[in-house]
Amino acid sequence: MTKATGKQMSFPELADWVISRTLKAGANDCKVSLSRRRAVEINYRDRKPEVIKEATTQGLYLEVFVNNRYAGQSTPDFRTKTLETFITDLVANAGIMEEDPFRTLPEPKYYEGRSQADLQLVDPDYGSLTPEERHSMTKAVENACLSNGGDRVISVEAGEYDESYEEYVKTSNGLEGSSRGTYCNVGASMTAQDEGDRRPAGYNYVGCRYKSDLPPMEEVGAEAARRTLDLMGGKKIATTKIPVILENRGAGRVLNGLVGPMSAGNIQQKRSFLAEKKGMPIGSRFLTVLDDPLIPRGLGSRLYDSDGFPALKRTLISEGVLNEFLVDWYYSRKLGWEPSSGSLSNVIIPPGTRSTGEIIRDLKRCIVVTDYIGGNSNSTTGDFSVGIIGKLYEKGEFVMNVAEMNIADNHMNFWNRLVEVANDPWIYSQSRFPSLVIDDVVVAGI
Amino acid sequence: MKPIPRRTFIRGTALAGGALLFLPGIQGCRFMDGKPSGNYFLGEFGIDETLCSKLLAKALSRGGDFADLYFEYTVSNYLGLEDGKVNQSYGDISLGVGIRTVMGDQIGYGYTQDLTLESMMSAAATAASLCDMTATQTAASFSRPQSGNYYPLPDGFDGIPAQSKLPVLQQINEKCFSYSPEIIKVTGGFQSNLRRILIATSDGIMAEDIIPGGFLYSSVIAERDGRRERSFYNLGGPRDFSFYTEDVINEIASKSASNAIKLFDAIRPPAGEMPVVLGPGITGILLHEAIGHGMEADFNRKNTSTYSTMIGKKVAEPFVTIIDDATNMNLAGSLNVDDEGTPGKKTVLVENGILTSYIHDRISAKHYGVEPTGNGRRQDFMNYPMPRMRNTYMLGGDATIEDVIKAAGNGIYVEDVSNGQVKIGEGDFAFYVSQGRLIENGKLTAPIKDVNIMGNGPKMLANITMAANDLEMSRGGAGQCGKNGQGVPVSFGLPTCLVKSLTVGGTEQKGGRS
Repeated sequence: MTKATGKQMSFPELADWVISRTLKAGANDCKVSLSRRRAVEINYRDRKPEVIKEATTQGLYLEVFVNNRYAGQSTPDFRTKTLETFITDLVANAGIMEEDPFRTLPEPKYYEGRSQADLQLVDPDYGSLTPEERHSMTKAVENACLSNGGDRVISVEAGEYDESYEEYVKTSNGLEGSSRGTYCNVGASMTAQDEGDRRPAGYNYVGCRYKSDLPPMEEVGAEAARRTLDLMGGKKIATTKIPVILENRGAGRVLNGLVGPMSAGNIQQKRSFLAEKKGMPIGSRFLTVLDDPLIPRGLGSRLYDSDGFPALKRTLISEGVLNEFLVDWYYSRKLGWEPSSGSLSNVIIPPGTRSTGEIIRDLKRCIVVTDYIGGNSNSTTGDFSVGIIGKLYEKGEFVMNVAEMNIADNHMNFWNRLVEVANDPWIYSQSRFPSLVIDDVVVAGI
Repeated sequence: MKPIPRRTFIRGTALAGGALLFLPGIQGCRFMDGKPSGNYFLGEFGIDETLCSKLLAKALSRGGDFADLYFEYTVSNYLGLEDGKVNQSYGDISLGVGIRTVMGDQIGYGYTQDLTLESMMSAAATAASLCDMTATQTAASFSRPQSGNYYPLPDGFDGIPAQSKLPVLQQINEKCFSYSPEIIKVTGGFQSNLRRILIATSDGIMAEDIIPGGFLYSSVIAERDGRRERSFYNLGGPRDFSFYTEDVINEIASKSASNAIKLFDAIRPPAGEMPVVLGPGITGILLHEAIGHGMEADFNRKNTSTYSTMIGKKVAEPFVTIIDDATNMNLAGSLNVDDEGTPGKKTVLVENGILTSYIHDRISAKHYGVEPTGNGRRQDFMNYPMPRMRNTYMLGGDATIEDVIKAAGNGIYVEDVSNGQVKIGEGDFAFYVSQGRLIENGKLTAPIKDVNIMGNGPKMLANITMAANDLEMSRGGAGQCGKNGQGVPVSFGLPTCLVKSLTVGGTEQKGGRS
């Protein structure tokens, strides 16, 4: 948006203008969040660019509180003329909502205590990333995947995506915050010829705040090929009860079904099977889950959460005991609890000491789950069921790839059978989970 | 974050739910340049043919086969009900243009939210950067294609106002609670959006449309003896407010409440391969995952689909005919015109058991030398189109429902599903059953819940051994199909049918209930 002089307003200036107009329009309080993002995407297939995409987007999200009535709306249009109407309409919209005494901005005391740590979210070299370099990175990944895929390759798609963003938030009751960040992601997916008409596709994508933290492009592409070739001949076996190892990068697919019900919203709405379990064991002693927003360069790192609460490291599950819920401002008021933070940042399971190779060698027979298909988890009951793809081992030796199989259980049983945590946390994600070993899992097949 | 290469269907906000209706027919016909959708972008944003020609020329200034512009203005609003109060309103405005340059199967894509000439020319230059040749000529003028009208709207329709939604949600709350004292929590929501689009192509097509969307849902928690169960139900699609009658409100409230209570008696089925009977309606997700995605022609032109070499081959019994259709009235996947300017059509994927046609966008249609099938869809102006499904269904057979269930012997009966996923190359798929029944000795017995069912697409098609004559279509509006990070609304339908064998992801090895 522009001022009368034609000069573009900074985010703080724009936020002040919006807050002032919103209060004049009849709101008691308001919160304005501003963002701008520049993203570039390049994809290659058959050694030529398949997609080149680039753009900048911006957004303004305004939340208004009118006598405990609430409404929020976003717009990409920062022009004053349209924003004036936008604000007036939004305040009017809030006015028709039913009154809810819990709908307020947080008390300002909860904004206090923010860390001043440098989270290193901005790659200082990001600005020097050239189009040529992006193409070169993508080609290197593609080449490595093609050369490691060998005769089996039907198709390889390699890609590079990067973005830089800035965000700013301000409320009418004293919260102010800003953040900037960068992100760079590379990888490839490969489709290979298997028996008959089966054409398994595997992939490997990794992303970091700093481009320099990425593994070598050749390694990224080679890993995509290896993971695809690992799918060859995948078949289901007879339904069996067996130890499974949930590979680090995908373990969240199952674990998220345990963490989601820890939110105060789910608890207050009586759709959490964990509502009464605080302070009680919900898993084995090997299950410790932390939320750490202050990890330098972490993909989920932040200094404050969406309520504006200062970021703090917390232990959600400690050696199997449910220690803390995820309590945001709104549901803290409904429940009469102290707020903590309603959202997750970097979720950590502390690594163990042994590699998955060592663990596999010690297990008589096991399935390493490398990917999932379908499935869901019921937050109210804790029941879940999910399709798996993986590798069967016996006496430490690879036997065959398995596909089209399924695991189903209840979280309250499943995590009690967590018998070991490997030493291999997956660092290219907000969920930094190591591989997890679960005993006696019914794996459904034939 | 870069999306992983998966194809998924996720239904709205929760587990469980679904809504069924007999297949609507085709009604109405209109010219796309007629009111009310003819000149919105000209009137509101000054987008005229001269400007479009200029942008297209820029997009092809370094060569390319063709270019297109996709202008979008979408206004969305959601009202939420919780703890007896309609206490939250959320809205979004999406405005911008996406500009695509295509050369063979390569895409250059730029977009901007700023509809000034300078910003749009810059986005066109980004798209043009794909090529490095001499300029390609654009058409001298535009023509507007004829299309059906599969979601007629009242004159001057400008979306569903928030004020209208509030009493509807209050009724949802009241009706859910009055259904049973076992209902302890009710949440509800009324989402609506109105999407206005203008498409202009370098080969002279100009199409404009107004697409309504949204849904009304309730989600309830029931409690009995300390045990809680949850259920969700929604109805919606491309409709105006007149759809949300008292009957519709009653249906949503009673289905969500009764389904939750039914789950108190539900067990989890045994694990392993067994016959599966799909009840009619939303269970058509089976087709969406098992064959629909695999028939999207982008996968096939890249040879990455398990169906890449199967056109013209027998894939199912002769009674099996599967259709992907834009022309159903008021279903979530209905389209007057796709996002590349191709009028909505009906595409037969499997005819009498023979695989007949992929579903195409313009790039794949050119690759195969066929006409586009009107399946070029995109999430919004920030994304380029791809072949996507619309409303996918199988025609009914001639068996009775009772015979289909009896023929299953011992297995499971699927009533409602919440989500699914497929691996295109392998053809392996899964869908999640939120409500169903055991079949024991040819009869429906105990309710079941929360089970993932898996299979392989081509094998599953060959294993459809019976179908009843009771095709129903899902009338839900909350379902989104995801592909490469883009969500689009879809619907599907199925008659009651028997699949001889699928893998049921139960909790115990076969031989016992859990």
